[in-house]
Amino acid sequence: MGEQMFGYEFYVDPSRCIGCQSCVNACAECETHRGTPMIHVDFLDRANSISTVPFVCMHCDDPTCAKVCPADAIKQTEDGVVQSSLKPRCIACSNCVLACPFGIPKMMTELEQMMKCDMCYDRTSEGKRPMCATVCPSQALAYVPREQIERTRRDKPTNVFLFGKQRVTTKVFMMLPPERDALSVDVVDYMWEAKHESAS
Amino acid sequence: MKAHRNPEPLWRDEFSIHTADERYVSRRQFTKFLVLTSLGMFAGNLWILLRSAFSKTPVYSEQSICRANDVPVGGVWLFRYPSEKDPCILIRPDQDTYVAYSQKCTHLSCAVFYSPEKDRLECPCHEGYFSVRTGNVLQGPPPRPLPQVILERRGDEIVAVGIATRKET
Amino acid sequence: MERQNQPTQKRGLTAIDGALALIALLLIVQMWLLTATLESYLAGHREVVLPAAIISGALFLVCAGLYLFVRRIDAEARAAQKKEEAPML
Repeated sequence: MGEQMFGYEFYVDPSRCIGCQSCVNACAECETHRGTPMIHVDFLDRANSISTVPFVCMHCDDPTCAKVCPADAIKQTEDGVVQSSLKPRCIACSNCVLACPFGIPKMMTELEQMMKCDMCYDRTSEGKRPMCATVCPSQALAYVPREQIERTRRDKPTNVFLFGKQRVTTKVFMMLPPERDALSVDVVDYMWEAKHESAS
Repeated sequence: MKAHRNPEPLWRDEFSIHTADERYVSRRQFTKFLVLTSLGMFAGNLWILLRSAFSKTPVYSEQSICRANDVPVGGVWLFRYPSEKDPCILIRPDQDTYVAYSQKCTHLSCAVFYSPEKDRLECPCHEGYFSVRTGNVLQGPPPRPLPQVILERRGDEIVAVGIATRKET
Repeated sequence: MERQNQPTQKRGLTAIDGALALIALLLIVQMWLLTATLESYLAGHREVVLPAAIISGALFLVCAGLYLFVRRIDAEARAAQKKEEAPML
């Protein structure tokens, strides 16, 4: 799986994030989206905790954003990286913004284009690390070979996310406590599915 | 051969989200275009074949051009033969020789002129030169010799009786 | 999911790349043949017209055959790909 990207894989560890916003500022330096970062750091429960999590595009194996785009503007490369929308094609309909289960695509209305994290494809396609992983001081965002993660961390990486009965597998891994296999996201999905039995 | 779920509709293949498939589709479209161009070339050859099969050997009418002494030695006489659309040039390179050719250069139909100093027919557009004696190409881009007008001397008159077809290369 | 598809996708792409190169080459030959035939015909050599038309037709048939061959390879690759994604019960 990692052979295509020079053997590296992307790991997100929310428990390591210290909220320093280095990743946000590094991402904003990119010439492609000058000044606007494609990564954001959210507080989980600001009133009660200082914990933060960085949000990058998960580069799903079966990207929902690409599949719902009516203008065929979002492409996925052979190594699985989902690109930002193609400027000549994007009509700024925000379908992808609504469809993404992780809430990643950003609609830049003034540009009439959706932009999102593309794993710094101009860097990763040449074997360099994405900007956010390069500057993260705690390596909450890490772009390393898999064996390095296995060697140095207690947490287990997973790339399976459950939204109710829907199973989303991604290219980007998230570190979970060792006893967990997959991450269930959004309790509301389960509640909704229980109510509407026909949902698959 | 039915798939477990509904099979993917064709448009998902044709407008694929994967860049590799996209490259395939655009390359396939280009290949189709090239094959059609190939068909067009073949149609061109067929057209030539049909024209060759259905064309009759032309019969030329006779036309009086001028009197023998109208043309000075080393001079030319311009005329139109067999129709108004066919400009021709008659040259008298020496006292008793009269030759005539179509004036349309076989390269791109510019009007050729006679150069007495070099004793050849010259095309000013791309410097193609033709021999006055035979009409063959001496130099330049013209691919074929100049078509020669067959002349007959009837007493004092020069008469055009036909256009020579060339069988030799 | 799409990583299983790499071999079949790449195969289709390589096949069409090869066919494209060959067809382009044959097309150039056909173009030359057409111009040469035209020049000869206009110069009065009627005997070249029929062989040239036959050869041009043969070249076109080879181009068409190559194109259909690549289409078949791609159709087989897609059928194999669909079988991988959704195996028969």
